[in-house]
Amino acid sequence: MALWVDKYRPRELSKLDYHKDQAENLRNLCKQSDFPHLMFYGPSGAGKKTRIMCLLREMYGVGVERLRNETMSFTTPSNRKIEVMTVSSNYHLEVNPSDAGMYDRTVVIDLIKQVAQTHQIDINGQREFKVIVISEGDELTKDAQHALRRTMEKYVATCRIILSVNSTSRIIPAIRSRCLGIRVAAPSQSEMTAVLQSTCKREGLVLPPELAKRVVDKSERNLRRALLMLEASKVQQYPFTAQQEIADLDWQVYLRETANQIVSEQTPAKLEKIRDRLYELLSQGVPPNLIFRGLVEHLVNNCDMSIKAKTLEYATQYEHRMQNGAKHIFHLEAFVAQFMNIYKKFLSELVMTDDF
Amino acid sequence: MDQYPDENEEFELQYQDELELLEDMPHEYDAFDEEPSTSHQAAAAAQKKQQLDVDGAPETATAMHDVSRLSDSTVSSPQLSQITFGATQIEGPVNRRLFGTPRGSAVGRGCSTPFQRMPAIDELAKNAEDNAAPLLTAAAEQLQELGLRGTNKRRLERDLFGDIDDLYHESYEDPMLKKARTEEQRDNEAIERILELRRKMRESSKTVRHDEVSRLKALHDFKMKNLSYEIPSWPFLALQRSDLERLYVRYHSEDYERRQLELLSARGQQMGSLLGEAKQQVWQEANELVLRRMAPATQPQLEAAATSTAETGRLWVDKYKPRKYIDLLSDEMTNRSLLYWLKMWDKVVFGKAFHSKQEQQAVNSNSGSAAQQLNSFNKRTGKFESNGGWRQRKARQALNTNVDDLGRPMQKVALLCGPPGLGKTTLAHTIARHAGYNVREINASDDRSPEAFKLALENGTQMSSVLNQDKRPNCIVLGKMQQITELLKCINYNCITDEIDGAPRQSIEYLVKFVSDGIYSKVKAKGAKAEHNVLRRPIICICNDIYDPALRPLRQIAFVVNFPPIDAARLAERLLQISRKEQLKTDFGSLIALAEKSGNDVRSCISSMQFFNVQKHSMTLQDVLNNNLGQKDRHQGLFDVWGAVFRIQRPKKMLQQNSSGNGEEPAQVTMTNMSVATRVGNVLDVVHSSGDYERLAQGVYENYLQQKMPDPNFNGICEALQWFCFSDALQHQISRQQNYSIYPYLQYGFVVWHLLFATLAWPKIAFPTRGFEFNQKCTNQRNIFLSLRKGVTTSAQGVGQGHILLLDTVPLLKRILSPQLRSVAVQLLSQKEQYDLRHTIQVMVDLGVNFIQVKSAEGHYVFQTEPDLDTLCAFPGAAGLTLPYFSRQLIAREVELERIRRAAPKGSEVDAAKKPGTPSAAAATKKKAASPRLPNHLQTLKPKQITDINGRSAPKQQLTKDFFGRVTHKTTATTSIEEAKTDAIVKSPIWYRYKEGYNNAVRKDVHLNELL
Repeated sequence: MALWVDKYRPRELSKLDYHKDQAENLRNLCKQSDFPHLMFYGPSGAGKKTRIMCLLREMYGVGVERLRNETMSFTTPSNRKIEVMTVSSNYHLEVNPSDAGMYDRTVVIDLIKQVAQTHQIDINGQREFKVIVISEGDELTKDAQHALRRTMEKYVATCRIILSVNSTSRIIPAIRSRCLGIRVAAPSQSEMTAVLQSTCKREGLVLPPELAKRVVDKSERNLRRALLMLEASKVQQYPFTAQQEIADLDWQVYLRETANQIVSEQTPAKLEKIRDRLYELLSQGVPPNLIFRGLVEHLVNNCDMSIKAKTLEYATQYEHRMQNGAKHIFHLEAFVAQFMNIYKKFLSELVMTDDF
Repeated sequence: MDQYPDENEEFELQYQDELELLEDMPHEYDAFDEEPSTSHQAAAAAQKKQQLDVDGAPETATAMHDVSRLSDSTVSSPQLSQITFGATQIEGPVNRRLFGTPRGSAVGRGCSTPFQRMPAIDELAKNAEDNAAPLLTAAAEQLQELGLRGTNKRRLERDLFGDIDDLYHESYEDPMLKKARTEEQRDNEAIERILELRRKMRESSKTVRHDEVSRLKALHDFKMKNLSYEIPSWPFLALQRSDLERLYVRYHSEDYERRQLELLSARGQQMGSLLGEAKQQVWQEANELVLRRMAPATQPQLEAAATSTAETGRLWVDKYKPRKYIDLLSDEMTNRSLLYWLKMWDKVVFGKAFHSKQEQQAVNSNSGSAAQQLNSFNKRTGKFESNGGWRQRKARQALNTNVDDLGRPMQKVALLCGPPGLGKTTLAHTIARHAGYNVREINASDDRSPEAFKLALENGTQMSSVLNQDKRPNCIVLGKMQQITELLKCINYNCITDEIDGAPRQSIEYLVKFVSDGIYSKVKAKGAKAEHNVLRRPIICICNDIYDPALRPLRQIAFVVNFPPIDAARLAERLLQISRKEQLKTDFGSLIALAEKSGNDVRSCISSMQFFNVQKHSMTLQDVLNNNLGQKDRHQGLFDVWGAVFRIQRPKKMLQQNSSGNGEEPAQVTMTNMSVATRVGNVLDVVHSSGDYERLAQGVYENYLQQKMPDPNFNGICEALQWFCFSDALQHQISRQQNYSIYPYLQYGFVVWHLLFATLAWPKIAFPTRGFEFNQKCTNQRNIFLSLRKGVTTSAQGVGQGHILLLDTVPLLKRILSPQLRSVAVQLLSQKEQYDLRHTIQVMVDLGVNFIQVKSAEGHYVFQTEPDLDTLCAFPGAAGLTLPYFSRQLIAREVELERIRRAAPKGSEVDAAKKPGTPSAAAATKKKAASPRLPNHLQTLKPKQITDINGRSAPKQQLTKDFFGRVTHKTTATTSIEEAKTDAIVKSPIWYRYKEGYNNAVRKDVHLNELL
């Protein structure tokens, strides 16, 4: 536990740094012998997983923290072997079904059946059920979600499911209605600064408040990112100075540069270069919707008011189409070309009005 | 027969003149080869040579000797003539026995020459002809063909290829070949084949010429295949001669018999020398022949008039199928290389040495002046191979000319590939027949399950081995049997596997195993017994698509012959011949158009010609262009399709001709008149015929930006991209829901792209690789990422999962793992550096990352992260891990140490946990001390108390002192405790069994009555 993210992660509900009311509610929930399926939702880096682990510890005690890594293999109906990494204790099992890609349905069904069909041995008068934590639940395919909804009810006696999702919009209503939704909002700036300060204090470092503020700004209220950035800054330069350089995320830099190139020149040749860059981003595993978002943000910042609305309109249109397709590059390029189109029109009109 | 003093003497007397000629024969023969320049002369020379060659080679002379000896006595008496020769090789003994002639030197002579195998070939050919068509017409046709060939093809052949020594076209020998020829004269094989052809030609001219020798030869052949000393395979009647020798005479139908006899006895009786009057006669005949050949246009039509009425029911495709090697339309180089390969089998199949030519040449070149011919050293034969300096090139290069231990070529399967209708099957059949094989074909209409395939293969290729097994019980027959197998070559099957690309994969695998297995079994068992399983017959496979995945194993071991498309002009020429024969009114231009329309598919051309013939006995250019006939659904290359998308096709010439020919308004050749409707139709046709829309779309996508387009405002590009999005959505829908009803809509994107981007200029089209590279990179990155994820230990779960780990953690991790360390010893590092180092090591161990030493492409050793963080999330321009080599080395070592350190306590824990479960003697002695030391295992100790209780009851019978094991013997104490413990574990209602990774570790007995 060398990374600060792990090292100073709260392990009990009572020790959480923010959303303390919510923590109290969670503790009350645990006091009863039973509780429903849960769904923690909120942006990444807000502390969903931390809260889930704290909750489990509240329920089962310290034993929950004795984790082990396991690789479980499943066989799909098409006889394909897939391996899924799980992290489990005696009381719970955490799985990320998006590892299995399009075969997550098999994983969900098999895994839950496997876990739910073995009864918890009641030694210390603990809970009668085990918990399955599904992280990145919104990455589950529709098939998998539909498979989940019946299993959730069927094995309710022996297992509970805790979903950790970024956005509930990608969870089918059937699942949403079966779960108790708990929203974990991203921490506010002051809360984040407080966390950073306390971390540095425990680490024995001095953090200038300006730097803390800058880190918080840069991290987009993502606490994990903020802590990692702070740690990277620490490796680069210590003692901290207020104006010290904070590491950027490489893909964000690359994306920003791409957006700038789009604005700088609008020719087919440029479009081809942009395509190469988009390919690069996609192949490095940056999700296309993040690319869309990054592009739009930067483009909108760089262009005139009159075409901002149009840009956004097109972006929504193409991103929506992208969801119905498989080759993201087509849709990204289509958006870029469209932007070039309207931007060029705008420029030529500008020249015309200047002339007259 | 007593009137002849000695057969040798008699022979010499009779053939003195010829023998003299014979002495000079090779030179003369050579001279003839080079001499003729016009067809006239060639024909005359050929005729003359025929005559000479009959007596030419010594072996022929031997045969003729017998023939002539018999001529007076036996020809006139059919009864006697039934009983004559066996094979040339065995004819000596046979004759002696039959006719009581003294022993002569004929045997030795006969044996030493390759002619001994001649009759078999003859018979084979004759059999085929007997079955297929009347002997005479076939022979006449052949002669005709030869003549035609002499005039038409000479120039072509010389340009196309050089090595024609294994072919018998000496009438158009290239002067360039002179030197090579002088050696090749001695090529037994060539001579043999030349003789064979001549003999055929001689036979063919029987109607005109009353050649005694040929007649007797034919008679001899006829008898030879009707008599046997062994039990033959044909229906027979057994006879016993006066000397108690059994003979087997073949049954024939009366009809057949009569015809054959007629054929033989129709000839005149006179038998003279070649000189004098006979020569005059020959000359006359030659002139006649030449005259006939001069006017080929009239005669075939007359012939055709007869045949077309008789054979209206026959398909032209069958009717005009090439029957001989010379008839083949396909590329000469291809034909040759295949024939060469087939000839390489001769050693195994026919038992004659194929390499004798090369060896002989080597000898010659060593002794003689031809040093320029030493151009390759054959390691197998250990001699220099002479290839004439120019022979080894192109197609031959693909052929491995080496042979294995059994004398088989290294490539045991030939794989013919090419688009349909080019004549692959025909080529295979013709060449196989030409080389003296009986063809056995397995094609798509046959059952091609592995079992059926196996059966057919083994039957086809191991016929001789079956015979060999048969011979073993009756050893007397052994030698002759072998000869008969050699003579009756119908036993020698040659397998042709047609349309192999449709065969199931298992069958092909079996074939590959079968082909290569022979070698293994040979190696394994040295005895002759194992050899019967060895492949001894050539196999030719035919396929359309050589890149079929199922063919991959075969492709590696086979001799692959790619079939180039036939030249349109050459095809049209042949079509013209056919049309003449069939009296179809047409012209060369329309035939060329037909050939081009069908993509030079011979079959389709002939079929459409027949169609027109039946319809109206004429075929014009309009017919060809207007009709949908002959236009086959051709598979066009991807580049052709992309070309059609990006290029506005100019209106075709033919189209213009067509419309003007019809008297309609002439179409203009300008681009503007190339209406959108035509273009759309064209693109749709092309795209539709290709079919692989996804790949096509990818190609368009990667190429459209390079096209020249007047599109300053990006409107066109936007529209095009919208269509890309649309087709992507369709594709996705189709693949997800398997809903192919929307598949037809995919092709309309191409129309839009065509209309947007097509120009008149030639487009530059590159093969789309980006999509593929992208996919490759994606998988690569994903694999690295997965290995990173697997390595993350449970104590570092905070780094996130999925793309959070990838996007947030990895870029920052690179910086966290790049502390600035001076390159000094660890002890000399400053406090901050030490802290950073320790921190880095901890993080790396947590994440399961380490540096490993790898050799880079340049040959340096570098420390690379494992899993490779540097490639993960590496964008051009972004700094990765900035650690120098020294720091990496240092860290790598420290990480290893840390790992060991972390692993150590776990190990001791495991040991400690094991101790109470399996108590050793040491544990037993320190039992008291050990039990309180392990607070974590109270639960495992608790059952011990139960064991104590159990144990108490047991020791009660013995001693009370036993409780702590001090007084009594150690051994008894430990054993009792041991027993007690195991008992306890088994008996306790709940037990625990450590099983990594399973959550059902704790088990509990539940009795039935508890449930009730």
